[in-house]
Amino acid sequence: MNRRLWNMFFVLGVWLAVAMCGVGLVSLIGVIAWYGVGAINLDFLLTGSQNFGADGGIFYQILGSVLLIVGAGVICFPLALGTAIFKSEYLANAKMQRLCAVLVYGLNGVPSIVFGIFGLVFFVNILDTGISWFVGSVILAMMILPTVVLASFQAMNSIPVIFRESAYALGLNKWQVIVRVLVPQSIGGTVTGLLLGLARAVGETAPIMFVATAFSGVSTPGSLLEPVTALPTHILALAQQATDVHALQNGWGASFVLICLVMMLGALGLMSRLQLKGAR
Amino acid sequence: MFLSAKIGKGYVVTCAMISAMLIVVILCFLAANSWQAFSQVGLGLFGWTWNPPKGQFGMLPMIYGSLAVTVIALGIAFPLGIATAVFTSEMLSATVRVYAKSFLELLAGIPSIVYGLMGVAFLSVFVQDVFVLLSGRTILTGGILLSIMILPTVITLCDDAMHHIPMSYREAARGLGLYKYEVVKDVVLPAAKMDILGALLLALGRVLGETMAVMLVIGSLDKIPTPFWNVLAPGQTITSKLGREMAEAAFGSLHFEAMIAMALILLFFVLTLTVVSLTYFYNPEGRLYE
Repeated sequence: MNRRLWNMFFVLGVWLAVAMCGVGLVSLIGVIAWYGVGAINLDFLLTGSQNFGADGGIFYQILGSVLLIVGAGVICFPLALGTAIFKSEYLANAKMQRLCAVLVYGLNGVPSIVFGIFGLVFFVNILDTGISWFVGSVILAMMILPTVVLASFQAMNSIPVIFRESAYALGLNKWQVIVRVLVPQSIGGTVTGLLLGLARAVGETAPIMFVATAFSGVSTPGSLLEPVTALPTHILALAQQATDVHALQNGWGASFVLICLVMMLGALGLMSRLQLKGAR
Repeated sequence: MFLSAKIGKGYVVTCAMISAMLIVVILCFLAANSWQAFSQVGLGLFGWTWNPPKGQFGMLPMIYGSLAVTVIALGIAFPLGIATAVFTSEMLSATVRVYAKSFLELLAGIPSIVYGLMGVAFLSVFVQDVFVLLSGRTILTGGILLSIMILPTVITLCDDAMHHIPMSYREAARGLGLYKYEVVKDVVLPAAKMDILGALLLALGRVLGETMAVMLVIGSLDKIPTPFWNVLAPGQTITSKLGREMAEAAFGSLHFEAMIAMALILLFFVLTLTVVSLTYFYNPEGRLYE
């Protein structure tokens, strides 16, 4: 009887925990959707912000976020692909493999604010580039690099040996094997990693708030070296004036748009991952 | 033809060098730019008061805040997370589990600044009303907000850890006449122990490094509350301090260098965690959870 009693307590406890988590997490999504959808209309999406974000829309913030992650993707993609090729094809030594893993995983563990501070010290203060779109993209690219390298490496590493052997038997040299066989076969993995990385990058505030964004008064950047304005930093500015009802409402709207962007990138990434599985 | 191979190899090696050196470069630059603080303030960096105009740069209040927030967040998220993971992994049917996991992935993708906004708009008001405080921006608020934030990740990781255990283990235990509770307690959890510990380390690193959500709700007061377990007082974490004050310090000043020193200490903590988890919980097929 005692054992049965314990079992009942256990099941009860688990259900209690599930109920708490379920209610909490579902209401989280519910609140964001409820307030977010309420704050959004076409005008909000297509006009610039006024009065430090309390009035007007978020058009330039959306544009700025997209520009930042496009820049990050363009910088990250070739770098990650090259690193993955090196890690998979040229690095035979197990010790070096391990060192490489430590360095890449280590970069993944760096807190996002530290990236921001590094950008502030290295680019803005030492190289004197000023607060700019370019620096923001570089910092975001650094941040997502480990994710992309790992996804790309796993895709490349899982190509069957017979592909390589056949290619060598046809007389291709190592580089030709890489360009003609391995990269086309594994590029899907790189793209998946890149999309998932960008889904994370678009929502990050801490890395870009010192180096890339200005809170207001910025529309379209004229060049790579001009500041942009982005959704996450805009939400931060609005959250700091949360006592103002209009600012808070705009904050919910901007949050909802930001989550939609994250989900779009994430869904694209998952789709390319599923496609990859289907092709194998 | 051979030229292209050489250029290609050069490109690949350059990329790999850049990627591998990034973390070293970050460490070096932070170290070089905080050197003044370490040499001039020295052990004063681990003092009790932070007051830049008077040349006092004690970061103990911030370190205390970071630890307190971490303990609260993990203390709430882990019991709840493991219990919920037991449910998703051991009690849910396979089809429902897929939906539950997708929902959790979606939640894990919500940017931290949105959690910060929720904290400002609802949680801090809630804490203020429940505990009858002057301001709801306290260490406890930060801890609760962080626990909600890492909960989806914790559930997903613990669920994976339990789900990887072969079905035959459970069948054998059930065959011996054990109750569900005993199967979970004596078979599943011990077998999944290492992976759950790995999840704990990952969540620890993430909580320590989280900035935006904490910064908005913790109250930003550089003081250890008296008595020190009074988490209903405002506080400050390393990350929230950096986020609030970094832009105010002039480059090259002692103030700026002391801030960098704080970032370096945080980075050192987190990198140690990464190396430990790589050494003991290395999983070459593993995914990167942020």
